[in-house]
Amino acid sequence: MKKWLFNPFIYVAGWQALGLGLLLMAITCVIAFFSQTHFDGGIDVHFGAGFPLLVCALEQLNAWLSTVIVFSAAGFILSKSAIRIIDIAGTMALARVPMILAAVIGFVPALHQVDLNHISANFLIWSLIALLFSIWMIALMYNAFTVSCNVKGNKAVVGFIVSIILAEILSKIMIVQVYHHFLPK
Amino acid sequence: MEKKLPHICPSCSSELNVQSLVCSNCATLVSGEFGLPLLARFTPEEQAFIIDFVKSSGSLKVMAQKLNLSYPSVRNLLDDLIVKIENNEKPSNPSK
Repeated sequence: MKKWLFNPFIYVAGWQALGLGLLLMAITCVIAFFSQTHFDGGIDVHFGAGFPLLVCALEQLNAWLSTVIVFSAAGFILSKSAIRIIDIAGTMALARVPMILAAVIGFVPALHQVDLNHISANFLIWSLIALLFSIWMIALMYNAFTVSCNVKGNKAVVGFIVSIILAEILSKIMIVQVYHHFLPK
Repeated sequence: MEKKLPHICPSCSSELNVQSLVCSNCATLVSGEFGLPLLARFTPEEQAFIIDFVKSSGSLKVMAQKLNLSYPSVRNLLDDLIVKIENNEKPSNPSK
């Protein structure tokens, strides 16, 4: 059970993981559209204003593609194995599964009523729950990286930390372009 | 009970060698010091993996289906074995 929750990539990778991952990302996108939840970075979850469905879909694609690009580059640099991009793409898509739950808790009104001077206990509790889903996703991403690229030990830890920071920077650069071109002015 | 061939010394963890071999038909005993073949130095699980891999004509996809594992998991197991084989070969070819 623990393996399925944190490292399903031992059993599922490649096209199978990509198909399942993209399907779950599409479901996340629809839920996020209605709950006004935003995934505006590789590992980001924010709750705010409603965006068009196309922008919600592009947010999902941006978050996923930025990790695929950076972790593929890291894999080719760090791994001695004959790695396949389809495994990285598939496992990184599947690693985003906790974001469905993050999108669902976006329906909680407390997460949208933020007054920085009066932060409610309700807001804090639900924010912590959202943070737990993000941590779960990061754990899944780490295992996706180690399994699909066959990197272990310190090399895996350092490679992952550097890659996740670079993926976050890349996703922020790309999301600015998405908002600039696709958000109604 | 299936006996496992020990290949690591329980006292100092070095590689074990074979000191005697016996004919199962006439009980002739051959004595000496013989190194274990490379495959015999692997764990039973690793040996089973190698046998399955050969039986699958070296197809990682077939192996993945057989073991109910993903393709990269099987490739990683194979890569780990390749590293182990290379490490085992190093002391026997010091000139290389």
